[in-house]
Amino acid sequence: MGLNMTEQAVISARAGQADIPPGSARLYTLVLLVDDRQGAIDRVVNVLRRRRANMRTLVVGPSEEAGVARVTVVVDDAEVGVEHLSEQLRKIVDVRQVLLFPAGQAIERELALVKVSCTAANRSEIIELGQHFGAQAVDLAPETLTLQVTGKGEQVEQLLERLQPYGIRELARSGCLAIARDE
Amino acid sequence: MTTTATVTQESGDARRASTHATDEARELAGSHILCEALVREGVELLYGYPGGAIMPFYDALPAYPRLHHVLVRHEQAAAHAADGYARATGKVGVCVATSGPGATNLVTGLATAYMDSTPVVAITGQVGRPFIGRDAFQETDVLGLTLPITKHNFLVRRVEELADVVHEAFQLARSGRPGPVLIDVPKDVQFAKTVYRPAASVRSIELYRATRVPQPAPEAIQRAARLIAQARRPVIMSGHGVILSNAYSELRALAEKTNIPVITTLLGLSAFPVDHPLFLGMPGMHGPAFVNRAIGVTDLIIGVGLRFDDRVTGKVSEFAPQAQIIHIDIDPSELNKVKPAIVPILADAKAALAALAEAVEPGDHREWLSELRQWEAEEQERARRLSRPVPYPTPTDILDAIYEVTDGEAIVVSDVGQHQMWTARFYKWTHPNSHITSGGLGTMGFALPAAMGVKMGRPEATVWVVAGDGGFQMNIQELATLRDEGVEIKVAIMNNGYLGMVRQWQEFFHQRNYSETPISSPDYVKLAEAYGLTGMRVERREDVQAAVQKAMQTPGTVIIDFAIEAEANVYPMVPPGAAITDMIIESE
Ligand SMILES: Cc1ncc(C[n+]2csc(CCOP(=O)(O)OP(=O)(O)O)c2C)c(N)n1
Ligand SMILES: [Mg+2]
Repeated sequence: MGLNMTEQAVISARAGQADIPPGSARLYTLVLLVDDRQGAIDRVVNVLRRRRANMRTLVVGPSEEAGVARVTVVVDDAEVGVEHLSEQLRKIVDVRQVLLFPAGQAIERELALVKVSCTAANRSEIIELGQHFGAQAVDLAPETLTLQVTGKGEQVEQLLERLQPYGIRELARSGCLAIARDE
Repeated sequence: MTTTATVTQESGDARRASTHATDEARELAGSHILCEALVREGVELLYGYPGGAIMPFYDALPAYPRLHHVLVRHEQAAAHAADGYARATGKVGVCVATSGPGATNLVTGLATAYMDSTPVVAITGQVGRPFIGRDAFQETDVLGLTLPITKHNFLVRRVEELADVVHEAFQLARSGRPGPVLIDVPKDVQFAKTVYRPAASVRSIELYRATRVPQPAPEAIQRAARLIAQARRPVIMSGHGVILSNAYSELRALAEKTNIPVITTLLGLSAFPVDHPLFLGMPGMHGPAFVNRAIGVTDLIIGVGLRFDDRVTGKVSEFAPQAQIIHIDIDPSELNKVKPAIVPILADAKAALAALAEAVEPGDHREWLSELRQWEAEEQERARRLSRPVPYPTPTDILDAIYEVTDGEAIVVSDVGQHQMWTARFYKWTHPNSHITSGGLGTMGFALPAAMGVKMGRPEATVWVVAGDGGFQMNIQELATLRDEGVEIKVAIMNNGYLGMVRQWQEFFHQRNYSETPISSPDYVKLAEAYGLTGMRVERREDVQAAVQKAMQTPGTVIIDFAIEAEANVYPMVPPGAAITDMIIESE
């Protein structure tokens, strides 16, 4: 564990952190395996805050191993910044592993629940639109309907854009989850 | 956690059972387990202050005569003393405080230890578990408060995990890049009993350590050696890591074999003898101009155990513009943090320096060195020209006297301000680890309590404090502790009647608007007497040497109040944010 990865990260050529060129920021996904102990998540979030990571989403949940939490963070940063951030996260005693993916390199999915205003007249139109994006209607009420959609972040965005005209009353997004592709 | 009760010894007489560590399992209260675990860690000294939430621990303490507890007069001093002890001995320093205000008083000391990577374990009492999160009397979220200033911290949830947590804390504090670790122990956990089995397996943090301290990669060492062979104007920059890993002889071997001059950072001072022909000096904000000039033209920096802090680099984009950097550090997050390294070497300084010294070819940098010495001589000549005869003691008079009277054997602990920079610059550091100061945090009030820890950790050593009139008053209450413990420290106050370093910045950058920087002092002679100690005041240059001598001959802690020039400045100075080659020098 750790050693090879750390060395690789260290040996990979990086530019100076202090001079991150403006406009070089992009999205990265960090996946952390963290011992689920008192304060462990606080420590992770604290490092993200203190090292001024620009966090887009943060998801905490169980992993394949009991007592080990999986934390998925999407940050918006220059490569140099995000590599330094990974090293800072690796120093946290509770953190077992940190994987760093440029956006799109890993399998990335998000779930969203969208409550849309509807009428008897346009209800089936909305459901159909949802189906087009693989969304399911999970709740039907006289004036609203709730769609559940999963997919890549941009797919969710696209559906939301199409639903906008009907009126989105409430939106719950899970944030991004990621898992590495096998070669 | 693996503690399961198998054997139970019913006697419960902890007082009798605890005097020697045996491997027998027996039932003990958390407070006693804490003491047992400290004894097993080899702890002999603790600095602390009691209060409600830590009372069970203090109740158990007298049963462990091996644990010498020092009652400080403020918890901040407990943390600094533990830090000083750790810096001087390389062992883990321990401090103890109660919940709430006791714990918050530790914060400055822990942050100081964290910034300078020193191994400290802090134990705090916490309100009982049922009260946590209910804003109980003297409850603070110590875990949350110390999260960013500790290497790790623990809230002990069950008495069964207490012993393991203590051992884990010590291991974490001293492993890899050292740092402070805090253990928060709820009062009811201190009362709760469980079966204590001293030899029970401790959850292994070895893994953590193993992944953090790899051996230097041979390819990296080879690449570094090739760069060293090609360099025409190389310098070694040595930091605190060299002291933390005891790599003095390896550093010297590398420098001597390659004939490369050595620059030491503030916390790296004393790792390389000042009188060595290859020693250059301290870089950065208050380093000599010729050292910064050397960095300005060097083509290769071999940086060891330093973090290229902003006080060293000045404006980063203009730091060492022509240099390639070989950077050795034990902490992967330091590599490439500030300056990109062409050869980053993730390793303990001692191992890496030894490997590098072995791999390099002997070198000769006679021309480069003579150029550097030429610059140095010009700078010194200029300083001589500018010096005027003065009646009052100068910082160099005081530092030279300490050096001479102690035959250079003293450990000098400085506080923070102008006197700290003068001490760093003008004392002749010849003994490894003889310079102790708060570098990263720059904590005023550090020196006196830290020196107490230094002296108690190294009782055979002569310990001098060099403090300002401002900082000395920040933990002045520890004179009582020194007196109680019979600890012998000699204190030189460089009394300029100002918060001098801030006044200097006001002079340079705020049009001499000396807002809130003049500061008065008590009569230190009377003050010393009031504490049962000895005080002296020195106002004339010619009395400096005799006073220092007298302080050495007088038993117990002695304070000398030196009246120095009120508005002397530390020259040269790199203005904040400027390139280190753009220094303010004393005007003619
Ligand atoms: C706890 C703390 N508060 C404030 C400062 C800011 N500060 C840095 S140096 C300094 C002046 C120190 O004055 P003194 O102790 O008299 O030393 P001098 O500079 O005069 O030698 C101050 C206020 C600090 N470093 N630490
Ligand atoms: Mg002063």
